[in-house]
Amino acid sequence: MVCIRKATVDDLLAMQACNLFCLPENYQMKYYLYHILSWPQLLYVAEDYNGKIVGYVLAKMEEETTECHGHITSLAVLRTHRKLGLATKLMTAAQNAMEQVYGAEYVSLHVRKSNRAAFNLYTETLGYKIHDVEAKYYADGEDAYDMRKQLKGRKHHHHHHHHHHHHGADAVLPTRKQMKSLAIN
Amino acid sequence: MASKFGFAGGIPERRVRPIWDAVDSRQFKNALKLSTALLSKYPNSPYALALKALILERMGKNEEALSVCLNAKEILCNNDSNVFVDDLTLSTLQIVFQRLDHLEMATSCYEYACTKYPNNLELMMGLFSCYVREYSFVKQQQIAIKMYKIAGEERFLLWAVCSIQLQVCCGNGAEKLFQLAEGLLKKHIASHGLHEPEALSVYISLLEQQCKYGDALEILSGKLGALMMIEVDKLRLQGRLLARAGDYVAAADVFQKLLELCPDDWECFLQYLGCLLEDESILIKDTDPFDSRMSQAVDFVRKLMVEANNNSVRCPYLAHLEIERRKLLFGKGDADKVVEDLMQYFIRVSFLKNLVKECEGSVSGPTKELGQSITVFKIQNSIGELFSLPVNDLEDIAVQMTEMFCKNLSLSKELDAQESMHGEELLSLACTVLVQLFWRTRDLGYLLESIMVLEFGLAIRRYVWQYKILLVHLYSYWSSLPLAYERYKSLDVKNILLETVSAHILPQMLASPLWADLSDLLREYLKFMDDHFRESADLTFLAYRHRNYSKVIEFVQFKERLQHSSQYLMVKIEAPILQLKQNSNNIDEVECILESLRCGTHSLELSNEIRGKSLTFNEDLKLRPWWTPTFDKNYLLGPFEGVSSCPRENTHNQIKQTEENVLKTVEKRSLLPRMIYLSIYSASESVKENLEANGAVVDSKISLELKTLLERYTKILDFPFQDAVELVFGFSSGQKPFEAPSPDMIDWMNFAVFLNAWNLNSHEVKFSDRDPSSTSTWNLVNTMLRKYVMETIRCTGPVVSSPGSHLPFLVQLVTEPLAWHAVIIHSCMRSLHPSGKKKKKGGSVDQSNTQLLHEIQNSIQSLCDTTEMVMKWLREQLDTPDDEKFEAIFSSILRNGRNDGPGKVFKILESSSSLIKDVEVGPRILEAVKSWSPAGDVRKIIAGQRSLLSEFLKICELKLKSLQAVRVQL
Repeated sequence: MVCIRKATVDDLLAMQACNLFCLPENYQMKYYLYHILSWPQLLYVAEDYNGKIVGYVLAKMEEETTECHGHITSLAVLRTHRKLGLATKLMTAAQNAMEQVYGAEYVSLHVRKSNRAAFNLYTETLGYKIHDVEAKYYADGEDAYDMRKQLKGRKHHHHHHHHHHHHGADAVLPTRKQMKSLAIN
Repeated sequence: MASKFGFAGGIPERRVRPIWDAVDSRQFKNALKLSTALLSKYPNSPYALALKALILERMGKNEEALSVCLNAKEILCNNDSNVFVDDLTLSTLQIVFQRLDHLEMATSCYEYACTKYPNNLELMMGLFSCYVREYSFVKQQQIAIKMYKIAGEERFLLWAVCSIQLQVCCGNGAEKLFQLAEGLLKKHIASHGLHEPEALSVYISLLEQQCKYGDALEILSGKLGALMMIEVDKLRLQGRLLARAGDYVAAADVFQKLLELCPDDWECFLQYLGCLLEDESILIKDTDPFDSRMSQAVDFVRKLMVEANNNSVRCPYLAHLEIERRKLLFGKGDADKVVEDLMQYFIRVSFLKNLVKECEGSVSGPTKELGQSITVFKIQNSIGELFSLPVNDLEDIAVQMTEMFCKNLSLSKELDAQESMHGEELLSLACTVLVQLFWRTRDLGYLLESIMVLEFGLAIRRYVWQYKILLVHLYSYWSSLPLAYERYKSLDVKNILLETVSAHILPQMLASPLWADLSDLLREYLKFMDDHFRESADLTFLAYRHRNYSKVIEFVQFKERLQHSSQYLMVKIEAPILQLKQNSNNIDEVECILESLRCGTHSLELSNEIRGKSLTFNEDLKLRPWWTPTFDKNYLLGPFEGVSSCPRENTHNQIKQTEENVLKTVEKRSLLPRMIYLSIYSASESVKENLEANGAVVDSKISLELKTLLERYTKILDFPFQDAVELVFGFSSGQKPFEAPSPDMIDWMNFAVFLNAWNLNSHEVKFSDRDPSSTSTWNLVNTMLRKYVMETIRCTGPVVSSPGSHLPFLVQLVTEPLAWHAVIIHSCMRSLHPSGKKKKKGGSVDQSNTQLLHEIQNSIQSLCDTTEMVMKWLREQLDTPDDEKFEAIFSSILRNGRNDGPGKVFKILESSSSLIKDVEVGPRILEAVKSWSPAGDVRKIIAGQRSLLSEFLKICELKLKSLQAVRVQL
């Protein structure tokens, strides 16, 4: 049976394969590494009984805005392992971690307008609501729904470690003071 | 030195901003102009210089960039108190130095700055990051401790602790260092406590690494335990620690608690059961505790089933089966009951699946039926049942699968082209069944059908990677490597997949004449790996800054895993060998390449480095088809051996065997460049020796080293040197029979070639007691090459109708041993006729070289003959008209009134377009089905074979030309 567990760096090998075989988008490996090294608590994988990765969720925190919130970057489940509730389990695990570890107020995600199956999962099973529509969000020109789900937020404030996570997508750069594009393009 | 507001690197920001903007918008020329202007105003500003260097590097002017950087470094480090030093300047310089592969210079800048401005935390953090980039764990630790002492911050302490852990896990640090780290943490906790969850997990892991499970448990249940914010994570950790401490009863309790919270956590259930059973008291065949423990588990699982009001929970039901299975293993179960339970389970699961689909409002009936049929086929396949079926039944199954796929196409009518279709797996399954039929019957028609089902599938949906991978292997097997490569490229393999997936094509390409494509493949792979290693240090620092300490360790270990990749090592060794092959007709080029490889020692060092360390194997072997579980094994090359040889059973051993072989191969191949270098040298020395007065000093070092390498080479081939010499003479004289073409023979041939080169100087191989026809080692090599090429051609049928042909061996023979032998001849000739002074004073070649000249003459003649033999064979293959080849292949699936044999699957595919009605499958699928051309598939195979043969022919022609050119000089 498939298990849901936190991702390790080693899983990236199999996760990238899973991504290639599931989604038209194929992210840079750097992108995965950036996520797991920045918010390791938010990455979960679904592992088959023989150690094969059959699904994953990739998420991050947006902490620069006034309301600290999480964002689901990518969710994938191999076609051969769909209809087993894996996507729901993966999403729930990531959402719980956002709430409990980082005190997220809400969680957001983007979904292709045409992806009915995913849309149904988000709205009906997971309780997301359409917040906005982003025109031509995807590379191929398709619109995206900007969806949100309210979380309970931080119950207590005794951990401040995440306040240091104030680096956005350019955190790979040596220092913030330098221009964004100087270091890595 | 404090940064002032509105200043950057000591320069007003308004002056620098336009440069930043220009760089941002990639207007480097403009940026350079602005930066030159800035430098005229601030000629001695390290920051202005650093900016210029950065722009130059961006423009690709690396040398200029480096010299500007060095200038800046000099100014920074000359102890002038007027020079402005800050982190912005240093980190900008750091970026450029890093890109220019001079990390050490960036480090020394920071080291200098930290001495000049002690206790400056910002600079110290910069220095820490420099050490992180250099993986200098000890220095990392020292600077982190300094920062901790100054600021007293928890994170700096943790940086130091991580650095210590890295010394033990990835460096040469002794385990007692853990105690030091533990002590540091303890002291800090006593005075300040701990505030970060990651800090706690580092602390726990530190204790775990020292097997102090009790201490770890105590901390976890104490005040610090509250740092673990996710309750189930904490329980999981507790359970694991208890189990490792051997307290299985308590561990089982914890896992039971965990299961109550997460009833669908299968992993947790297995641990629970494991703990119940791992108690030593049950290991004694005393059944009492076993029974009571099992009934305890049964009760608990029943409770979970009742409590799980959510119908989609599967774990308790599967857990029930697992318990019954364990009972059976213990000799206390009831097999019939297990079967009954299994049935119940499947009924339940398929009911659930159905339920989910109904909720989602999708079609349930036919999709469900299709899914069930596929499951049955898959189970049959995975328990190896298909291997025991008679041919006719097996064929029926392939037909059923194909038919089922076609009939159900209508289910995918509404789907987008990018979405997987219903029943897609049927074609992969049909393919593997057809390949098995081919293996059993050797009827080419089945092989063709196995390709056709996949091409048919790809015509309908071109994204199915499973089909593509199978095709890569089938086309490679059928000598249509260019077509295999095309399918491989369509997989769009990039990033880390280059490490996990490229093994599907790389080995075939290495033994092929497709040098341009191979060179691309190798370059792309190396670029990815090297870029990653360059970037990974930056990423490690990211984990430090985000305080994800456990990820620091994991990530450095991951980097090591990639760095020790067997494939990476192999590619680093094969890339220069390819260059040598490509340029083997030009000895000056060969020398140039060897020069850049530090005279061939580079590869040697690579393989020496890896000895003692274990290589990692990151290829995704599960994606490979059953008939080739590893790159060096292909069941189709041997006869079908019945059910007992069911490949699946042997996979594990096969993988282990392959991993051992890879080590040997890598070491063997790493010797080649140096042996070629020494052989060239030895050959030219042998001429000079003759030219100069008798008794001139021959560089005996060369001879000795070459002998050492030859001995190492034979040792890898499992032979002592002397026996190896006997063996090659045996081969050449015909006393030892040639084995069937095998990679080993290429190794032996290479050995003979270098043996000859060595013997030119050492004259150690004596001939008195050997076969009189082998009068010299020259003769030995010539005879071996000729005989083996002849033998390989003799047992190689027409490429078109002989899948698994020996063509790759032939290619290797010509492009390796034969090519190296020719290089040695070139070397002799060059020494005999130094360019510029073709005629030496006193007439032509020295008398003493007559014997050598004679040998060379014979060798050139022999190599020309051998090469022509290959060319003749290649031309025969190429001269056969394509239509004739087409007939030969295509007729294998035309049934023409036959009742048995291949063709049934093809018939279904062929008639599918007429059977499918537009209304049923929709215009897209209908169009695709109509576009599929079976004749086109066959023609593509033939074209692929043709282009492979022509590439090889071209190589042979060039080789022949270059040999003839040498002959003219004689």
